[in-house]
Amino acid sequence: MSLESDGSLLGAQDGAADLFARAAAADARTHVRLEAAIDDFLTPEDGRLDDRTRATVEIVLARLIATVEADIRQHAGRLLVSRGEPELALALTQRSLPILGRLIEAGLVRDPVFFRELIARVQLDLLAAALPVTAPEGEEPSLLARLANHPDRMVASAAVAVMFAEGRRKPGDTTPARTELPAELHLKLVWWVAAALREIHVGAPLELLDRVLAEAAQRSLAAQDDGERLEAAAMRLAMALDAQPAELPDVLTAALGDRRAVVFVALLAQALSIEFTLTREVVLDPAGDRLWLLLRALDLPRETIARIGLGLSDADPRRDLEGFADSLDRIVAIDPERARAGIAPLRLDPGFRAAVLSLARRPVR
Amino acid sequence: MNVMDPGLPPAHATLDAEGRLLHADRRIAELNERAGGAIGVPLAVPQIATIARLAKRLGILVSRGVVTADGDDDVELWVRAEPDGDGVRIAISGWKHRTPWHPAEGPRREPEPLHADADWRWETDAALRVTYLSPEASVRFGVDAAAMLGQPVTRLFALAEDEGGGFPILGALAMQARFDNQRAELRGTGREVRLVATPRADTAGRFAGFVGAVYVVPAIGDAGPAPSLRPLAANFGTRLDKALRGPLGRIVANADSINAQHDGPLRDEYADYAADIANAGRHLLGLVDDLADMNAIERDNFTTAPDEIDLADVARRAAGLLQVRATELGVRLDKPALDERLPATGEFRRALQVLVNLIGNAVRYSPPEGMVWIRAERDGPFAVIIVADQGKGIDPEQHARIFEKFERIDTNEPGGSGLGLYIARRLARAMGGDVVVDSASGQGARFVFTLPLRQA
Repeated sequence: MSLESDGSLLGAQDGAADLFARAAAADARTHVRLEAAIDDFLTPEDGRLDDRTRATVEIVLARLIATVEADIRQHAGRLLVSRGEPELALALTQRSLPILGRLIEAGLVRDPVFFRELIARVQLDLLAAALPVTAPEGEEPSLLARLANHPDRMVASAAVAVMFAEGRRKPGDTTPARTELPAELHLKLVWWVAAALREIHVGAPLELLDRVLAEAAQRSLAAQDDGERLEAAAMRLAMALDAQPAELPDVLTAALGDRRAVVFVALLAQALSIEFTLTREVVLDPAGDRLWLLLRALDLPRETIARIGLGLSDADPRRDLEGFADSLDRIVAIDPERARAGIAPLRLDPGFRAAVLSLARRPVR
Repeated sequence: MNVMDPGLPPAHATLDAEGRLLHADRRIAELNERAGGAIGVPLAVPQIATIARLAKRLGILVSRGVVTADGDDDVELWVRAEPDGDGVRIAISGWKHRTPWHPAEGPRREPEPLHADADWRWETDAALRVTYLSPEASVRFGVDAAAMLGQPVTRLFALAEDEGGGFPILGALAMQARFDNQRAELRGTGREVRLVATPRADTAGRFAGFVGAVYVVPAIGDAGPAPSLRPLAANFGTRLDKALRGPLGRIVANADSINAQHDGPLRDEYADYAADIANAGRHLLGLVDDLADMNAIERDNFTTAPDEIDLADVARRAAGLLQVRATELGVRLDKPALDERLPATGEFRRALQVLVNLIGNAVRYSPPEGMVWIRAERDGPFAVIIVADQGKGIDPEQHARIFEKFERIDTNEPGGSGLGLYIARRLARAMGGDVVVDSASGQGARFVFTLPLRQA
């Protein structure tokens, strides 16, 4: 404290000013805390994240940001060196900066599109990890190992691509090389990270810093290949496989039994011509009602629906297995034609669907 | 074990359409009777009855682990219920008894194998097809993952026999057990690797594949002819850091925060378990520190700084560091007086480490209400600190042994890595002094730490 360090009048005043500033900030913080407490109290129980999901979201978000940050810093550093600014390059590449906290505070996760993707990805990963494993009968390889040796090269290479992408996605020690976010979200994240880096390095020649950060960001955007994402690879596999109604029950249950939740979603999405992200949302919904309709729209037999319901319930404790068992007969009795009509809104163009939902939230008075 | 215990054959039972018990093997019948049930009425063990009803309504096989009370004990069961005509057929295996305080966890959670220091990871399915390779395999070791995924594991590794002419992986496959020493060559590279893996079981208890890791065996000649193990040794500390210190630190921190009940109240015994976990974690962290120290000390180029130190002051500080623990155990520390001086030559940090170890031992082996004496003396060309306790003492035959690696003063005592005295003596000798013991069984232990005396 300055008060102790020199004891002069000036020092004492500095110390007091410090105290006043902190007191004022505490006032504001009390308010923020109160608002957070109110929000927390009003959050309905079923809208709450469980601890595991919350922690995983945090880890995944940190890894996404670290990936982009490392990319931009490294390239921007190289650019600065080549432009005769080695000190700035060192500062940019070596100083540890609290980017994650800054981006959260600035509202990155308040973007519903961004958070929707993040949370769905985390929830599907957690669901997959919790699915009960069912080994195929006899000596038969698991679903993807079997498809990797499929005579159709399209199927085989897509199956390998899925396994490869899942391997990349698995949590590990190293910072992943790609964010694997959809292009528009990757774009957003790259610019936000670049902006955070820019903000922390105020004091450097801003014009130069802006130029190199922008160039490094552009490079990161150019390196992104949407087709390599796990979700895209799974959709490619589903399309190449083009499972016929008679084959669907087996591949769907095999995908679940092999904990390939992304493949399961892709198979459903392809069979019903519904967008992947929307199908994923339906699969993740613990209420399950929309999913049962999807399964009936495909005219899946009772046994397959029972297996899917049981597997998902075992993996997700929020699901009501007893309720599902009680209503299974009613679900199976639904006529496929009626089920297809019931899910028609899910098949609308995503833009149209979003608009319809927006209007529905504010009904005509 | 994560794979089903094949010890007892499964016991069977059948239920009719209304869920009444028609027939039961002896084990199920007895379990059911102890719960108040009988033949001809619905099952009395609620967990099993629930699974049977579920199987009946879903019309498919339902199998899962349950824990149910059996008298005063809990018993872990693996229940398979399958619709059979109008009724349900039940098969129950497992039958493992466990003490009731066991944390209520599903009985068949797969433990994730801890191979934090492995070079990369792999997984297979039940047919031993490669289903996962961690990115390091391609990035650091040039494995063509795309060509290997979905292929037999033997396309990736050329398996080698062990000394007995067997293949550990095959033995593990037959027994559904883990293996940790399958030698192999990374096909096409000439690289020797060691494979380790744990089996995975599916919901029916069948083998579902291996979850494994690869350790690349350092090639002879990688590091030049003479000290071929040098790079490994030099890396040891950092690898330990990566493999153990981080995870242990997190375990200790989390267990501490559970114990402190920051996130809300807990039942006392759970808070106590958390404290046990934190303590065990701290013990392991201490071991890691010791191993890293040992690794540093054993290097040829290990040196200490010839600082001018006051050994009496170092002894007072070491005693101060241990004061809290001594007070907890009701042991009194009698340390050199504040005005005592004992000039010596040695490295402050290392001398402190030696004395913390010696005084720490003395405190640990002291009887309650005991006393530990710490004396500073001069003996010819040496500055001497004597640490004496009132513990059981050490048999003269044991005097040499306790300074060896991984030896302990009293093997019945919990805690300690068995490295402390070894490290203390190596440090003292590196500074031109020594640590010796002078004690007889039953008379307390006396450790003497010497350093070269400095003429003040």
